[in-house]
Amino acid sequence: MSGIDPMLPFDVALALALVALSWAVLAAADRFAMVVLFIVLGLMVALAWVRLGAPDVALAEAAIGAGVTGALLLATLRHLRGPEAAPAPGPVRWSVAALVAGVTVALGAVVVAVATAPRPEGLAGPVRDNLPASGVEHAVTAVLLNFRAHDTLMEVVVLLIAVIVVWAVDRGLAAAHDPAAGPEADGLGPVQAGYARLALPAAVVLGIYLLWAGAHAPGGAFQAGAVLSAVGIMAVLAGRWRPEAHHRAWARAVFGLGAAVFVLVALGVGLGPGVAYEYPPHLAKPLILAIEAAVTLSIAATLAALFFGREPAPVSRSRGRRP
Amino acid sequence: MTPAVMDGLMPHLIDWEVVAIMAPLLGALAGLVMPRAAAGIGIAAVGLTTLAVAALSWAVTTQGARMMALGGWGAPLGIDLRADGLAVMMLAMTAGVGLCISLSALAGQRARPAAGRPGVFWPLWLLLLAGLNGAYLSTDLFNLYVMLEVISLAAVGLTVMGGGAAALRAGFEYLMASMLGALLFLLAVGFVYLRFGRLDLMGLADLVTPGDPAMAGVLALMLVGLALKTALFPLHWWLPAAHASATAPASALLSALVVKVSLYIVLRVGQYLVPPTEGLVLLVGLAGGAAMIWGGIQALRAERLKLLVAWSTVAQIGLIFVAFARSGAAGTAESWKAAALLMLAHAVAKAAMFLAAGRIKDEVGHDEIARLDRSPVRPTLAQFTFALAAISLIGLPPSIGFAGKWLLMEGALAAGYWHWVALTFVGTLLSVAVFSRVMVPFLRFDRQRGPVGEHQGWALADAPPLVLALASFGLGLGAAQILTMLEVGEPFARATGAVLGGAP
Repeated sequence: MSGIDPMLPFDVALALALVALSWAVLAAADRFAMVVLFIVLGLMVALAWVRLGAPDVALAEAAIGAGVTGALLLATLRHLRGPEAAPAPGPVRWSVAALVAGVTVALGAVVVAVATAPRPEGLAGPVRDNLPASGVEHAVTAVLLNFRAHDTLMEVVVLLIAVIVVWAVDRGLAAAHDPAAGPEADGLGPVQAGYARLALPAAVVLGIYLLWAGAHAPGGAFQAGAVLSAVGIMAVLAGRWRPEAHHRAWARAVFGLGAAVFVLVALGVGLGPGVAYEYPPHLAKPLILAIEAAVTLSIAATLAALFFGREPAPVSRSRGRRP
Repeated sequence: MTPAVMDGLMPHLIDWEVVAIMAPLLGALAGLVMPRAAAGIGIAAVGLTTLAVAALSWAVTTQGARMMALGGWGAPLGIDLRADGLAVMMLAMTAGVGLCISLSALAGQRARPAAGRPGVFWPLWLLLLAGLNGAYLSTDLFNLYVMLEVISLAAVGLTVMGGGAAALRAGFEYLMASMLGALLFLLAVGFVYLRFGRLDLMGLADLVTPGDPAMAGVLALMLVGLALKTALFPLHWWLPAAHASATAPASALLSALVVKVSLYIVLRVGQYLVPPTEGLVLLVGLAGGAAMIWGGIQALRAERLKLLVAWSTVAQIGLIFVAFARSGAAGTAESWKAAALLMLAHAVAKAAMFLAAGRIKDEVGHDEIARLDRSPVRPTLAQFTFALAAISLIGLPPSIGFAGKWLLMEGALAAGYWHWVALTFVGTLLSVAVFSRVMVPFLRFDRQRGPVGEHQGWALADAPPLVLALASFGLGLGAAQILTMLEVGEPFARATGAVLGGAP
């Protein structure tokens, strides 16, 4: 390589911005400023992933790390009233400080040692060689939905557990206002209503495109699900849709749909000559797309439900309906 | 779905490994959609999983370790599942203890449907079971991380399920500790991939050279992460509150099963990656010794029965780490067996003890130790169970706890670590003192009397913990067979020439 990469100044600036933003997030005194800075940090991290040549991770980071997480944090802010929490007791602070110091030293040693060691070939070669047999043309999708489908199934399960736990927690608490419900439908301003009308269909189309694109280009179930969940979040915020108690059975079914389809396909293909997760080559693509479609729906519903934040209460306990 | 699998698997051997992971997963999904039938579905799924584990154990003990490649790809591209003696012992422990806790939870939910919350408990417990089984069968570092995530999130859910601000706060601290531990572990996994370009433990075993400075750092990171998750002193701060504020079946699951999985990963990492440097092993042993003493002292000071039992878990985890670090002249290549036996002993006895403590609390109405002997109700069967479990945890013969401690002391003496034996004695004396605090009032009959026939407080829910407590004695008598089984597949030999079996 001759000369200096023209992107180098940009990369250096990006790296410095990441460090500065991380510090700013931790140092911010105001909770709202903290969340906003965190969202900005997420977008910058997404940019860094693009520069590192990982557009799939960048999409996921932008959609989930910055977008959905930011919305979740902002929704959580409404619960955090009153003064800041008292500082942790001494032993906790000391053990945390010792832990951080130890980890920093270990990390430094590891980074130096790994950076000076010869770089291995990694799994890029085997992935490339087996890509034709995977049923999809995009390497990341092949790894996530075929080579290491077992991991991905369990990650889908993690999200399922999250929503079960959130519903379980909120039911145990005293009645508070619905966490993330926006203004009532009649109080909706013209700007919000107009924006929702324009943005919701566009987000649906974008989500479906991301799902379809995942077979041959960056995209896939997690990104598509995050974008589609934004549809649900906007619909709740704009007051277009309010989760009700009688939606719960359907909601549970949709939460579990992705994992259920995934498990059934994984076991179903094991009935033939292969073992579990061994898709027959000619069916691999439709099976992967079916799994992805189901997982997308589940992720979208789960993230939207996490944003709403509680199990929709029966009418008698819901606010304002019965005095 | 799983019966269909069995039919379809006629042409080739049934992959019991897959059934052990997928049966609880499908049960959880069914229970989620049909919350009213969750308990029945849950018991059926746990029963099916137990059958699968029994079949797998039989296959492994008779035919040797078996391995299968998910998706047919094979490591390092795909993920392999491997069942050897150690994995099978952990699976069988999880299935047996899990089944007893399930039956106990069922009995409890019959008595108090609202408090048991079957629609939440069963899906979470079944997903936890799927994660535990998946972790015990895994041979891939990233897959282990994913399983740890499933396990910890489900465990946090079980912690907060009891409701109330105290449980929520404890669950939140647990979540934070658990996430931090998972991130440290993940970071270490990333470094392993960067250094060696693969994640399967068996392939890594050939690449890792002893004394590699990069790997020493990676291993330290991994150990800190796992120590946080398993609550090794001084990273134990989250455990007592979390385990004490959950409902009784949840406490039993958390204390008996959930902390074991990180311990198991410590054993596996010690098995496949670089043989730990002596300094690291010593550090682990010292932390374990400190945990034994500190956990014992805190248990002596605890005012509530469940908190006492939770602190005793901190001490027992310390004991297991001491066994891992110091019971054998040949280092971890020998000591893991004592550690594994003590893990089994703790799982069985602690599950019995937490369930019995829950029964005592249910019958008496509170669990303040100082006032336990002032109640007209005397739940004698639960008290008897508690005492049996305590005998195993203290390590008196012929319990499995005794077998584990015997192995620990024998190994330590053979290696000349007599001061570690002394330390273990101190820990044992502390646990005698701790459990005497509870059991002495059990034996006093003169404080308050209820009408005859009403003061017994026996119920069907006493049966599962009693079975578990008796099992710790049965297992103690069978300790020799367990040790033989542990050696199947020679877990601590470099396992590149592993016996291939199972899936064609």
